[in-house]
Amino acid sequence: MSLSYTWVGWSRQKKIYDALMLSAIVLYLAVFVALARAFQAPGQGLSDVQLLIRALGTAAFILLHIVLCIGPLTRLDRRLLPILYNRRHLGVTTFFVALAHAVLSLVWYHGFGNLSIPLSLLVSNTNLRSISQFPFELLGAFSLIILFLMAATSHDFWLKNLSPRTWKNLHMLVYIAYGSLVLHVVLGVLQQDTSPVLVAALTIGVSVVSGLHIASALKESTADRVTPGVSIVPPDVAPTGWVDAGSIDDIPESRARVVCLRSTGNVPGERVAIFKYDGKVSAVSNVCAHQGGPLGEGKIVNGCITCPWHGYQYLPESGQSPPPFTERIRTYNVRIEARRIYVNPAPNPPGTPVSPALLPEASHRNI
Amino acid sequence: MAIALIILYLLAAYSLLGIIFALYFVCIGMNRLDPSAIGSHWTFRLLVLPGAAALWPWLLRRLASTHHSYTSPPPSHPESPS
Repeated sequence: MSLSYTWVGWSRQKKIYDALMLSAIVLYLAVFVALARAFQAPGQGLSDVQLLIRALGTAAFILLHIVLCIGPLTRLDRRLLPILYNRRHLGVTTFFVALAHAVLSLVWYHGFGNLSIPLSLLVSNTNLRSISQFPFELLGAFSLIILFLMAATSHDFWLKNLSPRTWKNLHMLVYIAYGSLVLHVVLGVLQQDTSPVLVAALTIGVSVVSGLHIASALKESTADRVTPGVSIVPPDVAPTGWVDAGSIDDIPESRARVVCLRSTGNVPGERVAIFKYDGKVSAVSNVCAHQGGPLGEGKIVNGCITCPWHGYQYLPESGQSPPPFTERIRTYNVRIEARRIYVNPAPNPPGTPVSPALLPEASHRNI
Repeated sequence: MAIALIILYLLAAYSLLGIIFALYFVCIGMNRLDPSAIGSHWTFRLLVLPGAAALWPWLLRRLASTHHSYTSPPPSHPESPS
């Protein structure tokens, strides 16, 4: 663990991941150009540069689909979490492939006239009200600007200094970039080449991305609704307003159960991760202070809650990162009665130390 | 044509100011904004440069509101870019 910023946090696994990713991209480009050249319709006469432009464009589009599918896939199946760890490298690579596509396209289609390339891009086609003649290049340029902003702010320096919320909002623009790219393809390539294969590929791509997002959203919303045992408890069992978060026997050692506390009065609803460890139970916010990772899907490692996304750690009793780190998350008061866990839905400020509830067997040992 | 030229000149001006600011920011400004950046390698600063050039009005405002001076960098998590 280092204490200052590094430019890229490469490990052996990440280097292997990046090498495989770059090899796959180069292989795709080579196969695309070779196949397109071999099966080119007579008279179509596309040059190798034009084929490379198309290869780069489709590669960037496919990469963006993969980037967008990783999030919902990992929410649907936790075994896929490892592919999430290098998503940032994949996203930055997507930008560079798209940039190569854009530069080659601009030079090839706008670089040999009397006007400068940027001016030619803006004035060579102004049919904004026509579908068949729409200047689809502008849509691609718009997407590229968003991809640039995301790639340029992908380092943790920006996450910290833009604030996690602003950073997250900025990176959610990827969906606008995706929509703009779909239009770029529909109004551009598909206007010139109405091959059923292209139409089918685009339809499948959009369906997969939207389908996975809908499926993962449904899964999370269902999980929130059916969280077992979460209900308001009578005041003779726990203080008024506390909620029953289920049995301690349902939580594996060093793991957590995530419960969704409903918003009540002035207390906003939130997912809370209840960890069982070393004969104790503690409750903290389920949202990692780094990138909003699901802490409840992580586990206790060396006495610390460890986020499954990037390994950020927090002490379960206080929600503070172990010294010398400074991140903090909200904590919740918990108690155990008759082997059931009760949580006070009112959160404590981030980093507030809270005495963990002792498991009955641990309490007996202490006596 | 006139509108296109105006757009391009505005973009060029924004970018030029952004590049000038970004050079200042990665050399000096970022140390004031984030003490964890003090002593960081030039490769990291190079990585921050494009973002600083693009978001320079926002960073300028942040720097203007930061009057603290730092003597030593506090720690931050290491798992930076994944």
